[in-house]
Amino acid sequence: MNDRKEKIIPSKYIPDVGAHTETIDGNPYLVANDTMYTFYRRTRGEFSAFFLALRDRKKLLGCKCSKCGLVRVPPFLTHCPDCDFAPTEQIEVEQIGIMNSTPPITYFATALFQHMAPYGRGRVIFRGADTAMSVNLYTTTGILVPGMIRKGTEVKLVFRDNRIGEVTDVFCVPTAELSREQIGKKGLQESELDWEAPVEPQIPTASEQDESVFRQTFDEITDIISRMNSNDRARKDIADWKRNIQVKTRGGQFVIVIDDGNIEVEEMEPLTIDFVMVCDDPRTLLDGLSYRGAITDSVINKKLWISKNAEFTTVFKLDRMARSVARARKVAE
Amino acid sequence: MSRRVGIVGAAVTPFKATWREKTYYELAQMATREAVQDALISIRDVDAAFYGIYNDIFERAAIPEHAIHGLCGMQNKFGIRISTGGATGAYTMSAAHAYLAAGRFKTALVLGVEKATDCFDFSSMSATPEVIKSIGWSGDSFFEQSIGWSASDSYAEVVLAYMDEHPGDLKPEITAQISSILSEYAKDNPVAQRQHDQVTPEEVINSRMVVYPFRELEICVYSEGAAALILAEEETALAISRNTGKPVVWITGVGEANEHSFAGKNQKNMARIMSDYYGSRRAYEMAGITDPTKSIEVVELHDAFVHQLEISMAEFGLVPLGRADSLVEDGLMTPGGKYVVNRCGGLIYCGHAVGASNIMSAWSARNLLIERGRGAALVHGTGSTVAQYTCCLILELQ
Repeated sequence: MNDRKEKIIPSKYIPDVGAHTETIDGNPYLVANDTMYTFYRRTRGEFSAFFLALRDRKKLLGCKCSKCGLVRVPPFLTHCPDCDFAPTEQIEVEQIGIMNSTPPITYFATALFQHMAPYGRGRVIFRGADTAMSVNLYTTTGILVPGMIRKGTEVKLVFRDNRIGEVTDVFCVPTAELSREQIGKKGLQESELDWEAPVEPQIPTASEQDESVFRQTFDEITDIISRMNSNDRARKDIADWKRNIQVKTRGGQFVIVIDDGNIEVEEMEPLTIDFVMVCDDPRTLLDGLSYRGAITDSVINKKLWISKNAEFTTVFKLDRMARSVARARKVAE
Repeated sequence: MSRRVGIVGAAVTPFKATWREKTYYELAQMATREAVQDALISIRDVDAAFYGIYNDIFERAAIPEHAIHGLCGMQNKFGIRISTGGATGAYTMSAAHAYLAAGRFKTALVLGVEKATDCFDFSSMSATPEVIKSIGWSGDSFFEQSIGWSASDSYAEVVLAYMDEHPGDLKPEITAQISSILSEYAKDNPVAQRQHDQVTPEEVINSRMVVYPFRELEICVYSEGAAALILAEEETALAISRNTGKPVVWITGVGEANEHSFAGKNQKNMARIMSDYYGSRRAYEMAGITDPTKSIEVVELHDAFVHQLEISMAEFGLVPLGRADSLVEDGLMTPGGKYVVNRCGGLIYCGHAVGASNIMSAWSARNLLIERGRGAALVHGTGSTVAQYTCCLILELQ
């Protein structure tokens, strides 16, 4: 069970009381920090048995119509609307199912789920059920990429170690990544899986040619970052954002410093590094910064590695800056 | 016998990423002022108001329409707000049409407004994650919100399921071309948020993946703005038309359908947008259209995502299911092709001020029909989770 003390709204989301003015066409306009908030003690009602079964007994429940026999998972209702509201009964279903369709993968998440990205969410028809249940999907082998889980892929329900009686108490992984014992076990928990820890890729020793490519690429990266720095739109893309990014490539290393609207490249390492980017070929990063393919895609395609998935947010900002500079170039042409 | 209903006035404010200079009160009044001016009537001549406002959180107020009712000159008259997700604007037009057709009123204001990007995420110091978080409260609150439901991932579910069934359709090079075409169309739309943001197919393909399979330049952009129509029953509409010299654009068909939220046997067929199928068929039937491929020339559809635009065109019966790429491959929607699709740039380039978007689409369709002096247009709104809601309207010059 979850005995951690967490706040409903983490403090990082909560701004200070305040306001600022923005000047448009010479006129000042007031913009105030504000919120709408409502707290709940929210009823789970007829869904209580489902959530309690997940939390306390590691069981998956559905409901079966007494007339047509349709089994809905989760048990959405107590009476079947297809059978003039015939009563349903709760039943247990199996913890293995197949994907109803190929699931989407979210790379750019809402403010609430940025820490989870990239994540999959899809619908699974568990054995014994007729309807599909929405679940998060993970791979134990690293970042979830398109093609890994498709329509018809068999998946296993896995229970969180800390369960709170929410649908987040469970998620699914492909059975192809599990042992026979794990597949057969009811109530399999996340701590029983062999999660592949993110390991920083090793870069081979650089040849003279690699070093030459690095020098040339580094100069080009310096040039494009200098253009970003002189582009108002690009500067706005990193307003109020601070990150020190260590970039490691085959021919050499450097640091990208983002500091509230400013971006610079430095060869010296600053005191603190927020995250590491590793790309064997520095031209991968150059292409992204030059708007010749997104850096996001390079991460997805494993051409570029980042040490913290949560830093997809920073990668998005770099992609956006690349587009801002490319737009300015087009307008100038 | 229901009465004929037509559009006799229309106006749209500029759609912008953010309006720091105006609140939604002023945006609403701005569109209203210009719409009655377009119809050459006084607001005192308008009998009822129908408000399309999607999301209370965007406006930071429950029942956000109460404040604008009097500010738009509608005090002591009928006022009702419609909220049906992305399809809010289309459903608002549908509701106004029904009241006028039933003879309850002679004239009506249809007003859509949205102020989305006041939402701001202080953890990433940007608006978009908070805007999409606000929309995220629209997902199922017991089983889906907490696992990362978003508008994009729910529409992606439908698109990917369609691609499971039709693996050769919705090719990346085609979706990229469609986005590029829409960006070129936006050049002629003075209210478009991205009027000067023309992109090549290559740029679309190079844009970042947001939610697989959607890239940044294949997704509508959130906007702030307002759009207003003046609708009137036949006799009044003809009188206003005589005064303005502009023809009445008649609403000859209306059709709606809302699917099941959940998937599986007897629920939503994830590979189809049956709401688009039923909504369009009901609108065709009411308009007396038996073969839409022969009757429909102008389409202003709710392109939340380019892929969904293609599927919607197939569900409307304008191209075969599984062959939606023929929109480009056979030149059906390329400039000069059989169908003029989203001449305003669509929601991807004109922008998506949610409650106002479909009303902006109707404004664009009306302009096109008047300019062409003939034809029929299909106006469409889609919304809610997994493209669950649809409302279609047929506009015609007669």
